[in-house]
Amino acid sequence: MDAPRIVLGVIGADCHSVGNTILDAFFTEAGFHVVNLGVMVSQEEFLDAAVESDAAAVLVSSLYGHGLIDCEGLRQKAVERGLERLVLYAGGNLVVGKTPFEEVERKFKALGFDRVFPPQVELAEVARLLRADIEARRN
Amino acid sequence: MTSQRLSWKDFLAQRQAVLETWPTGRDVAALEDGLRYQRTIPEAKNFAKAMAKAKAAGRTLLQPRAGVALIDDHIRLLRYLETEGTADLLPTTIDAYTRQNRYEEAGRGIERSRTAGTSLLNGFPAVNHGRDGCRKVTEAVTKPVQVRHGTPDARLLAEIALAGGFTSFEGGGISYNIPYAKKVEVGQCLRDWQYVDRLVGYYEENGVSVNREPFGPLTGTLVPPFISHTVAILEGLLALDQGVRSLTLGYGQGGNVLQDLAALETLRELADESFRAAGFIDFDLTLVFHQWMGGFPEDEAQAFSVIGLGGFVAAAGRVEKTIVKSPHEAMGIPTKEANASGLKATRQVLSMMADQRICADNDIVRREKELIRREVHALMDAVFAAAGDDLVQGVVRAFAGGLLDIPFAPSMYNKGKVLPIRDNEGAIRLFAKGGLPLGDDIMAFHRERLQERSRAEGRPVTFQMVTDDIYAISKGKLVGRPK
Repeated sequence: MDAPRIVLGVIGADCHSVGNTILDAFFTEAGFHVVNLGVMVSQEEFLDAAVESDAAAVLVSSLYGHGLIDCEGLRQKAVERGLERLVLYAGGNLVVGKTPFEEVERKFKALGFDRVFPPQVELAEVARLLRADIEARRN
Repeated sequence: MTSQRLSWKDFLAQRQAVLETWPTGRDVAALEDGLRYQRTIPEAKNFAKAMAKAKAAGRTLLQPRAGVALIDDHIRLLRYLETEGTADLLPTTIDAYTRQNRYEEAGRGIERSRTAGTSLLNGFPAVNHGRDGCRKVTEAVTKPVQVRHGTPDARLLAEIALAGGFTSFEGGGISYNIPYAKKVEVGQCLRDWQYVDRLVGYYEENGVSVNREPFGPLTGTLVPPFISHTVAILEGLLALDQGVRSLTLGYGQGGNVLQDLAALETLRELADESFRAAGFIDFDLTLVFHQWMGGFPEDEAQAFSVIGLGGFVAAAGRVEKTIVKSPHEAMGIPTKEANASGLKATRQVLSMMADQRICADNDIVRREKELIRREVHALMDAVFAAAGDDLVQGVVRAFAGGLLDIPFAPSMYNKGKVLPIRDNEGAIRLFAKGGLPLGDDIMAFHRERLQERSRAEGRPVTFQMVTDDIYAISKGKLVGRPK
C-alpha cells in the first residue's frame, strides 16, 4: 500500500510554526506522505490541498485560542467539495483559557472532527489512530 | 550605518492611506489631537519615564501579558493585575486577527464574545475599539500601559494606540515579521515600521516620550543569543534613525543561567557601542528579560519553578523589566488569577534578590560573552557590507542570502537553515549554521560542545535531539536527554 497522504497546517491567523515543523518531521518519518501547508492556513487552502493531493486526512493545528472560530464549517465545506470520507483531526491549545479537555473535545466533535488532541499527546499514538481511521474510512 | 529618515511629506502622504484602511482611522486624523492628549497623561503613567526611573534606581519592573475582546472586561483584567498582581507596568496584548489587519474578523470576534459572555479573541482588538476605546482603557488604570502584539503592518494600530494614550509600543520590522508572518516581504515590513518609528519620533520631537521595544525572543524556541541580539540592535538602529529615543531591547530566557547572564550583559554593551558608533548620543537604552518563551510544564507547581528561575536571572542580570509568564502557560491564555500568581511568584524572587549582587565575572561568563561579541560582530559586519548606504537594503539582502536566519520562523523570506541544539550543560549552540557568516573557529567551538553531549548520551547529534530539546522544559528538564 502507498504511504497514506495527509495534509498538515496551522489554521487561521495563527503563526505558531515550531510544532508544525516537528509534526512534519515526525509523520514523514512515520511513513506518511505529508503535504505541509505551514502556518496561517485558511479552510479553503486545507481543502484545496486535500483535493489536489487526494489526501485521506487533514490534521488541523491551532495554538493561539481562536481554534473554535477558525474551524467552524470546515466539515460541511469538505462534504460540499466531495470529501465525504476525509478523516479530520484537530490538535493544540484549541480555545481561549484553561478549559477541561473533555469540553474542548465535545465542542470540536460537534464541529465534525473525528478526533481531538491536547498539545501533550504522544505522537506515536496519533500515528497509530490515524492509520486505523484512514483504513476504516476506506472500507 | 544608517537608513534614511522618512520625510515628513512622505509620512503624511502614507498616513492618509493608512487611516482609510478602517473607519476608526478617521478619529485620529488630527495628529495634534494625539499630542495634546498625551500631554495630559501624568508622568507616573509614562512608560518611557518609568523605564528610565527603573534604570536610575537599579530596579526590575514587572509586566504581564494580557488582553481580552471587550473594553470593560479588559479594564477589569488590567485593574486586577495592577492591584492583586502588583504589576509595575501593564500590557494590552492585541488579538491575532488585528495583528493581520483582519479587522472584520476581529469585529465578529467582538460580537461573538458579547454573546458568549467570554472572550473568544486572544487579545484586545484596539483598532476596532478605536481611539476612544483605548483612552477608556489607559485612563482606567494607574500604571503605564504598553501595546504588545505581533503585527507586521502596525501603522494604523500605532496611530490609534498613541492617540489613545498608550505610552509604549512593542515590535519591529524584523521581530514582528519573520516570527509572526508567512508571506510579508522583508523590505515592505521594514518600511511599515519606519512609519511607526517616525510617528513615535514625531511625539518625541514635540516633547512627549514614547517607549519602543523591539521583540527580543523572536520564535522563543532555542534562539542563540547572538541571533536575537543582532536583530535587536538592527531594529534599535532603524528606530533611532526615525527619531525614537527611549528603547528597550529584549532577550528571552534560554535556560542555561551563565549563558543567559552573558547574553544580558553583552546585549547592553553591544547595543550601546553600536548606537554610539552610528553617531547617536541622545538615547535611553534599557533591557527587558522574557521568562522562558518555549513550551511550559502543564503542572502548575512545575510551571512556577520555571517562572522563579526566570525571575532569578532577571534580578541577577539587572534588567529594567521582566515579562512574566503564568502557571497556565501550557494551556494557552491564563485566567486573571493565574496571571496574577505568576506576577506574585516573580515579585517574591525579585524582592529577595533586590539587595544582592550576583557576581557574573567568572571564566565561563567571560568565555560566553566573548563568543557572543564575536558572533554578533560577524553578523552585523555582514549586514553592513550588504547594505550599501541603506540599512534597510542590508537587512533585506541578509535574509535573502541567509546571513540572517531565525530558527523555526514561519516566514517564507527566512531561509530556515539554522538548527540549534543544547549542549551538555543546556547552553544553546548551533548544530547547523546555514548561511550565517560565522568563522570556522566559532563553529569548531559549537561542534565541540555538541560532541561532548553526544558522547554523554551515547547517540549522534541529529534532528531528534532538536525535537527532544524543544519539549524538554515542558517535560521537567532543560536538556532533552534520551529516555
